[in-house]
Amino acid sequence: MSTIMEIDHPYPSTTDGEIAAINLQSARRGAWARFAQDARLSRAAEAVVEKEVLTAQFLGDLDALDRLESLAKQFAEADDSFRAELVQAEVASTTHRFDDARRHLARAASMGGSQEEIDRHLLSINQACGVDLDAVLAARRKIAAASGSLEDLVPLGAALADLERFAEADSVYRQALGSYDDVSPIPLAWVCFQLGMLWGELVPLPDPVLAALCYRRAIAYLPGYVKARVHLAEICVSQDQPREAQELLVPALSSPDPEVRWRLADVLIAQGSFEEGERQLDAARLGFEGLLERHLLAFADHAAEFYAGSGNDHRRALQLARWNVANRPTRRTIKQAHAIAANANEAPGAGDLGEACDAEVPA
Amino acid sequence: MSDHVDGPRSIGDPPADITDLFAFTSPMDPARTVLAMCVFPSAGESAVFSNVIDYAIAVRRVSVAGVGNAAKFQPAEQELRFTFRFEVLDRDAASKVIQRGTCTLPDGRKISLTVNDEKGTSTPEGDCQAFAGLRSDPFYLAWIAATLEKAPNLLQHDNVLCMVVEFDTHRVLDPENGSLFGVIAETLPTEPPSRIGHPVARIDWIGRPEQTNVRLNNPALFGVADIRDLWNQQTPFEISKDLQPLFLQRLKDSFTNWDMRDGKSDWTPEALAANANVFLDDFLLFDVAKPITDESHLEIEKSTIDGRPYQTGGGRTVDGNSIDILLTWLVNRDRAFLLGGATGATKPGTKVFPYFATPNTETQTVTDSVELGAAPDDVWSVIGQFNLDWHPLVARVRLIGDGLGQLRRIETRDGGEVVERLTEVDNAKRVYRYVLIAGIAASHYEGTIEVLPKGSGCVAEWRVQYLANNQPDIVVRTRVLTLLKTGLGSLKRRFAAAA
Repeated sequence: MSTIMEIDHPYPSTTDGEIAAINLQSARRGAWARFAQDARLSRAAEAVVEKEVLTAQFLGDLDALDRLESLAKQFAEADDSFRAELVQAEVASTTHRFDDARRHLARAASMGGSQEEIDRHLLSINQACGVDLDAVLAARRKIAAASGSLEDLVPLGAALADLERFAEADSVYRQALGSYDDVSPIPLAWVCFQLGMLWGELVPLPDPVLAALCYRRAIAYLPGYVKARVHLAEICVSQDQPREAQELLVPALSSPDPEVRWRLADVLIAQGSFEEGERQLDAARLGFEGLLERHLLAFADHAAEFYAGSGNDHRRALQLARWNVANRPTRRTIKQAHAIAANANEAPGAGDLGEACDAEVPA
Repeated sequence: MSDHVDGPRSIGDPPADITDLFAFTSPMDPARTVLAMCVFPSAGESAVFSNVIDYAIAVRRVSVAGVGNAAKFQPAEQELRFTFRFEVLDRDAASKVIQRGTCTLPDGRKISLTVNDEKGTSTPEGDCQAFAGLRSDPFYLAWIAATLEKAPNLLQHDNVLCMVVEFDTHRVLDPENGSLFGVIAETLPTEPPSRIGHPVARIDWIGRPEQTNVRLNNPALFGVADIRDLWNQQTPFEISKDLQPLFLQRLKDSFTNWDMRDGKSDWTPEALAANANVFLDDFLLFDVAKPITDESHLEIEKSTIDGRPYQTGGGRTVDGNSIDILLTWLVNRDRAFLLGGATGATKPGTKVFPYFATPNTETQTVTDSVELGAAPDDVWSVIGQFNLDWHPLVARVRLIGDGLGQLRRIETRDGGEVVERLTEVDNAKRVYRYVLIAGIAASHYEGTIEVLPKGSGCVAEWRVQYLANNQPDIVVRTRVLTLLKTGLGSLKRRFAAAA
């Protein structure tokens, strides 16, 4: 099991987080420019997808999802090969439209797409949906053993965490940290974030101190890592440190992620700034609804949590939680639905769970 | 978007990725030599250098150790290194981001730099000058390599980060002890990895252009293993003896394939093997005692393989057509020059330091306006709404959110989709501004719609500014202009045109 000392020992120097963020945006724009030159250029579309996914995941730029949808559409119009299907599959996966993604992958396979690449996509989708997790784990082990690279060890760690093998997940994440010999801060920030999630939310007895340390490390690597700031802010609030939470969230306000405003609202209200807190809460609600309108499946879980909490709409929360379970029936999503239902005084019985699993997601 | 199980496949640091290496006589002073390395392919305008990478150009004296089918170039042990290192970002008085760095010369002297300072910095002695910053990508590749079809420049309008060092040839290289040199460029972490026993990890290196993508990983060779990563792990000037046979065989197979691309065999097996041997020792050759021109790239290698004394300084100039020179040599052994789909990069090099053209970052502006006979408030009541439902090219608009930050998702009648965000609105001044989120291939895209009083009527003006990251930008310009003209033109029908 990780200890505070192990997490805190000095790691290799990486490129400064501000530089990395600027260069990621720079590379993203460069990728779009090349795509605009000629959408069919080798790897042009794929490069855009890579950079936009990184931007969304690590810099909190959720507009990237809209840009990805636009790219997928433009590319499909320009290219009728398996490449377009693979790109559409990746974009669909990113926005949790897993059924769409599977369809695109099937078409890519019939058009001669690389089976290895298709299998990787399917592995990720199965993992995200909690399907055949033992087979997913076996595949992840094999891939990680072959490459030993951080990018393959982290999904293995996540698979172990999904199967509640937390000690092993921790060990794999630390192995990922030790395997890294490049200079980008993003991969190391990612691993630290995963460790923070593991110790802060997934283990049966969360260790908020250890989780906070991990999130702090992630933010030290990448100050613009919005999700890490949000998660750490949550811990600060739970530890009665609202000022620290506020200091974490304010620099992230430029992100379109409504969770920033939600958590800030909680902090402000806790400190007696009711008017400002309500304003932020309204903005968060607007932000969540905007995201749900465009990317329902990608944000159903976070929005469910919002409405079950400060958003104070338990019916909406349960509806979203049920849609989330219907889309990806993992242990975590089912637990979330349970918790929301219990909180809403709708005691979940077998019938409720059955309804949740059978709930149809709106088109 | 919740927990994202899968992450990026490979997250490298783009400023560690080397794109090119150049060695040429200074256009400003024939007594000086210029070495330059470029990194960060397709860099956007804000690109900066990593603060934890040593960007190094390493030079060794080389002797001709064999000619003809035994052609070989032997590098010496001693190395001269020029190392660039950069700091974390700072801000100037106007809060603009600046980055500083140093270039350490072979004798240990350091030149302090500010990134993107066009003048660069010289040593107090005046014998060396260095520059680092964003430049228009000097490389052009106008072939589909797998099929040898001509194409427009695949790197048109790209930018890269460049590091340039110019120095007194005699003082630094001492050519009287040998004027032939080999040069490589490499990127190394400033701090070796912390794992015990792990060797210093080189991130990237380059000798001659296209060793990995054209010679070792010939795209027309199907079913072969990709050995580029294995090659990139090699130590420059000292390719592993255990792996040399593997790389040599790959080069021979690749060159055999290139030779037959035109259906004619121009290479004897012995000469092809000699060619492969020469390219296995991957460093860029240049001779400071002979002229280096736009045509002299690879002349030293070619002449030596052909068994005759070389006549030029080889090297590689900014404007040299290195790809066509290479392909002509590989495909037909210089029987007939193969000219690709482009004769130059986006911009040519310059005759003044730093010799690499300014980056491609011109902001484009498209403006249209229409005079109307209606009162400004009447016109503003229509076009001042962010919903754009007055526009004839718009099939449908969905508004998301309210007030500043509101999004409009526009579906155009031709099936296109554009998403924009409201950033500023002033109803008293009858103006609003918005930025592009998605749907048009441009960056830094900002639009302004405004109604200005004029006499008894008004002028409706629509203005869009964007960064032209691609060439030709005629595609973006045409689309934007159509949007503006069609929209404003429709207002004439709605409101009486001004007399």
